[in-house]
Amino acid sequence: MAVLTAARRRRRGATRVPPVVLAFVLVPLLAEAFWVFWPAVQGFYLSLTDWDGVSAPKFVGVGNYHEMFGDSVFRTALLDTVLWLLLFGGLSALLGLGAALLLQQERRGVGFYRAALFLPVVFSLTATALVWQAMYQPDGLINNTLDFFGLGSLRHAWLADQDTALYAVIVPALWRQIGYVMVLYLAGLKGIDPVLYEAAKVDGATRWQQFRHITIPQLRGVNAVVLSVIVIDSLRSFDVVWALTRGGPYHSSELLSTYMYSTAFQSLRLGYGSALAVVIFVLAFGVIVSYLVRAFREAD
Amino acid sequence: MINSVPSRRRFLAGTGAVGAAALMSGCVTSGPSTKTSSGGGPVTLQSNLSSPQAKKAMQDLVAGFNKRGGAKATLNTVASETFRTQLPTYLTSSQPPDLLTWYPGSVADSYAKKGLLLDVSDIWTKPELSGYSEALKKLCTSSDGKKVFVPATYYWWGCFYRKSNFAKWGVQEPTTWDEFLDLCDKLKKKGVAPIGIGAGGNTAWVASSWFDYLNIRINGAQYHRDLLAGKHRFDDPEVHKVFDRWAEALPYFDPNGTALAFQDATTSLLQGRTGMMLIGTFFADSAPKDMLDDIDFFRFPVIDPKVPLAEEGPTDGYFASAHTGRKDEVKELMTYMATVEAQEIYLKGSSGTALPTNPEAKDTGTPLVKKGRALIEGAADVTQFFNRDSSDALQPSADTALTRFLAKPKEINSILTTWQRDAQKIWGQ
Repeated sequence: MAVLTAARRRRRGATRVPPVVLAFVLVPLLAEAFWVFWPAVQGFYLSLTDWDGVSAPKFVGVGNYHEMFGDSVFRTALLDTVLWLLLFGGLSALLGLGAALLLQQERRGVGFYRAALFLPVVFSLTATALVWQAMYQPDGLINNTLDFFGLGSLRHAWLADQDTALYAVIVPALWRQIGYVMVLYLAGLKGIDPVLYEAAKVDGATRWQQFRHITIPQLRGVNAVVLSVIVIDSLRSFDVVWALTRGGPYHSSELLSTYMYSTAFQSLRLGYGSALAVVIFVLAFGVIVSYLVRAFREAD
Repeated sequence: MINSVPSRRRFLAGTGAVGAAALMSGCVTSGPSTKTSSGGGPVTLQSNLSSPQAKKAMQDLVAGFNKRGGAKATLNTVASETFRTQLPTYLTSSQPPDLLTWYPGSVADSYAKKGLLLDVSDIWTKPELSGYSEALKKLCTSSDGKKVFVPATYYWWGCFYRKSNFAKWGVQEPTTWDEFLDLCDKLKKKGVAPIGIGAGGNTAWVASSWFDYLNIRINGAQYHRDLLAGKHRFDDPEVHKVFDRWAEALPYFDPNGTALAFQDATTSLLQGRTGMMLIGTFFADSAPKDMLDDIDFFRFPVIDPKVPLAEEGPTDGYFASAHTGRKDEVKELMTYMATVEAQEIYLKGSSGTALPTNPEAKDTGTPLVKKGRALIEGAADVTQFFNRDSSDALQPSADTALTRFLAKPKEINSILTTWQRDAQKIWGQ
């Protein structure tokens, strides 16, 4: 009987959460609720209203979402965001992985190249954009370099031409992102057991076969992180576009994020702007969750 | 040295306070607050005049106010574009800046209608403001008859050029549209881009000046104001006429016009790469002072002699938040801003190309300023500018429509249809 009671007491003792631990969980949750969940709920409520930021919001139900179906700028922004996701996301993953493979081996001076590639990450995107803006000017470095090499016919108002604006904006964003992705892949590559490569070499595997059958599968965990980072960064890409083109000329480099900002804070249609924010959230959440679910299912 | 030992109680109290602050900051939809900022302390003046010369002039102005005893003021300068987008937030905040730089007319009235601006009718009866013109009094009065604004300076828009360049090219100021096109033709043959614009970068709004001027020259100032108030449509035949004329001048525009901000376009003008530029005198704030003597301007050419000649003469000044807790001190500062002393301090510190609104205050007296004053005083009507005569919210729709027209003039029908649709969304709010 005494043994039983002691065991029960021990079990009760094990499950009892000390109040301090509870506080460390509940208090941040409360702060998070006020800081994140509450504004998010308010944002969703705002998306159901017509609000100019000054008067009281007018409830319009799903009117803002309905308007999106007929809004050609929304369609442009959505397509540009998908294009941005593919180009910016795809290229930064590929080039980041390429840079990591190139710079993974400890050689003399490799640290310098790693630092040089990572350097743009340190600068703010707005500062980066301002430097690139100067380069894209009609008499800027890029056009002058083209002239120097006798390619004057390719001169362009890169940011003011609707055919080139979006691509011109992607370049500085990529320039910055590659270093970041490279660091993630470098960490992943360092985590691969060298024994696997040695075994493969003994079996006579070529470099491509080693990459295909060891490196790629071993990087699966890192890929999930990189994909999440890329999707989130793509959907929240705003600063570089805003600093360079503000989504223009005439919406040709408009992303959902810039359209949301200009609708909400320039045209003062905060209800419609909030509806766009909800769409961005749903897209980011949807893409990441569906990928993670698939990734975990494969892992099982 | 004081060692603070973190305790659980202190930690919990801290997080509780932070959470409460977050709760309060989350109340974004509660509408205009009736709370007022606390009294005492200096009056906060939020200024959008962020170019180096104008900012320094504002600092001189506040120093002048603080030196004279009585209420005190502090200056907070915010980049113009940030200021514009944040203005509704400033005014609806429960702790607003007391006094803000901005524009009178329809922009101020839209805030006054919502009860966000302080009624300053009593200071308009004081000697400092009693001599102001009837036109200014009307401009500073809201639609319910209260005075809500104190004007400080105004400036003019014109076609600016360098005298030495015009002499070098052997060309003269035009007065009519045909003479203007002829001048453009001559400049183009000399290898100069005749018309600089600066509607790229973050200053696409500069293109609205061309729309404004062509509209007031073709359809008149009243039609222009009515159009911007939503009483006409942007796809009306009258508006098409504006773009027909603009298309005649389009081949003479600098091809880089939509790639450069107005500050860079100013450099092109001063370096003689462009011949002239329709711009307001504020561009002088980003020009070297020693070049100002070589700058001249001419009136936007006459298109239809039957239409009375109106000019764009935007007025700048101050309005106060209705929620300020320092009403008396704010009014003291606003009264000071209207004085001869204050307006002369500002003009001395800035590029000096603006004109004071106080009839007793002296302008800088340069030939350029005298010519500018004569232009506005001789105008049959004075308009403000696109966003000032309409609303800040309508400006982005104009930016999109006009930059698209500059690049794709043949798409004018769809441009105007889209513009009307976008404008309707703003007016419908």
